[in-house]
Amino acid sequence: MGEAVVKVENLTYSYPRRENVLVNVSFEVKKGEVLGIIGPNGAGKSTLCKALNGLVPHFYGGRIGGKVVVAGMDTMKHTVAELSTKVGLVFQDPEDQMSGLALTVYEEVAFGLMMLGFPREEIDARVRDAIKKVGLGGLEGRSPFELSGGQMQRLAIATVLAIKPEILVLDEPTAQLDPIGKFEVFSVIKKLAEEGSTIVVVEHEIEELATFADNILLLDEGRVRAYGSAREVLEKVDQLRKYGVDPPSVTELTYILNKEVGTDFEIPITIEEAYKIYAEALGVS
Amino acid sequence: MGISLSLLKRTAVEVETFVQRLDGRVKFLYFIWASILVYIFYDFILNLIFIIVTLLLAIYARVAKPIAMTLLVIIVPWIAIATPILSLPLGFPWNKTIIYYIKFAGYEIPVYLEGLGWGITWPLRIGVCISTAMLFYLTTNQARLVATMFKMKVPFRFIYMLIATFQLIPLLVDEANTIFQAQLSRGLRTDVGIIKKLYYYLALVIPLTLSALNRVQIRAIALESRGFSAPVTKTLMYEAEFKWMDWIFLSTIIVATIVLAYVYITYGYSPIAGLEYIWG
Ligand SMILES: Nc1ncnc2c1ncn2[C@@H]1O[C@H](COP(=O)(O)OP(=O)(O)OP(=O)(O)O)[C@@H](O)[C@H]1O
Ligand SMILES: [Mg+2]
Repeated sequence: MGEAVVKVENLTYSYPRRENVLVNVSFEVKKGEVLGIIGPNGAGKSTLCKALNGLVPHFYGGRIGGKVVVAGMDTMKHTVAELSTKVGLVFQDPEDQMSGLALTVYEEVAFGLMMLGFPREEIDARVRDAIKKVGLGGLEGRSPFELSGGQMQRLAIATVLAIKPEILVLDEPTAQLDPIGKFEVFSVIKKLAEEGSTIVVVEHEIEELATFADNILLLDEGRVRAYGSAREVLEKVDQLRKYGVDPPSVTELTYILNKEVGTDFEIPITIEEAYKIYAEALGVS
Repeated sequence: MGISLSLLKRTAVEVETFVQRLDGRVKFLYFIWASILVYIFYDFILNLIFIIVTLLLAIYARVAKPIAMTLLVIIVPWIAIATPILSLPLGFPWNKTIIYYIKFAGYEIPVYLEGLGWGITWPLRIGVCISTAMLFYLTTNQARLVATMFKMKVPFRFIYMLIATFQLIPLLVDEANTIFQAQLSRGLRTDVGIIKKLYYYLALVIPLTLSALNRVQIRAIALESRGFSAPVTKTLMYEAEFKWMDWIFLSTIIVATIVLAYVYITYGYSPIAGLEYIWG
């Protein structure tokens, strides 16, 4: 884990018609790290994602203060088109990300590369690779609009992967999906995380997030309320509650046991950890 | 979601007849050309001919149903309601030629040619615009059209405007459908006054319109984040070359223009219907 791919310093932002949506936000993401962003509705999570690829402020206008540097580029000094090769942004609703200009899954993935003017052979290689990575092999010839929600979201991820961005930004990629869709998309994200991709992901499914996030940032009313390793942030159950975020249930259970029953368990943040801790305590391993 | 998805899909049509294969530019030209011509001429029979030709092409391309439905919903009621009013005394300021008397309750009510002619010609002019525009929209593959425009070095802004229009249409259709369903589920309440009805209607229409516009903006953002306006030479999937079919269609348009120019010079602006000119 070396240099910081994303560096946000004292970022403060107001939309033209809404003040202080982000206030003094600072954090960084190193190469190969996964940062999870959590927080209640309206906290400014999506706005933060858009600040990472320059849509904020280039597209939305408004006032911005502080500094955002992504892959060595200051977002204030580069256009969204330039930043799009470094930052791959995936939105909540996969349908909104379909260009509507591609007849097939293959063309949809190729679209971004075509827009960026890559040569054909390179496009072909990258498209095949990206489709394989998200597990859509065999569906190249389908219409994007015939896919299930989970497949469409994986396609959206593939369109971004094909560009080989230095960082992947996912804004609630599973919010619109049914349980199977969620599972499919999480599997892809976990795989990418294991392979060493640098990822920023906004996610409400805390239990899932805990299994692959290195660091977590808790945002509320545009302010950073907690920032640190996943464990540091998630084990502060009272604090999460205060900002309307449900901690993982194993974390909460252990926390309550420790507090009410007086046990002295280590606080787990994933089921796997909980299993180890409890198995040990019960003497069955 | 349902309808908008199927419309988006439709614009990336699977059925391939020669109408679909025609270059988007040629079909767009047909739309503009026909719309201008029916405006230059003042002849409802000519308008009808244009509509029939367009419908024949649409039937061949298997997209006639939505076009016919739209014409039925917009044009037919207009002719049915406005034309009778226009043809009666005081219905139309330019009325002077009486062509018929209706006997009604002991009165003889005159029917005027000017109002009648105007009342039939105008809706049909609009009908030509709508049907040719829809033929273009429903049979043109957006991906191909956009590729063509990139190749022609059309500024990104214009290309984007076209895409936005293409994508707003299904969203609005979707919205109209939602409103219709909501009205139905409210059981077309008869116990409320017209003001209250209007209020309910606006309470539905406004948020839905805003959300449709919002989604178009999100789509714009998504396109932009994928390098849509990156200042480079785009790699294109489709060849934007005219094929022989395009040349034939184009030649037909040119020949028809020459013939119609001759007709205009020889017989005037209303060669078939023989109407007298009224402003517009
Ligand atoms: N284009 C805009 N113009 C003005 N205000 C906006 C705009 N987009 C978002 N906001 C406001 O900024 C605040 C933060 O919005 P944002 O979408 O970033 O929150 P979020 O944390 O992503 O919420 P959610 O969990 O609902 O997705 C909200 O109060 C929202 O109303
Ligand atoms: Mg959001």
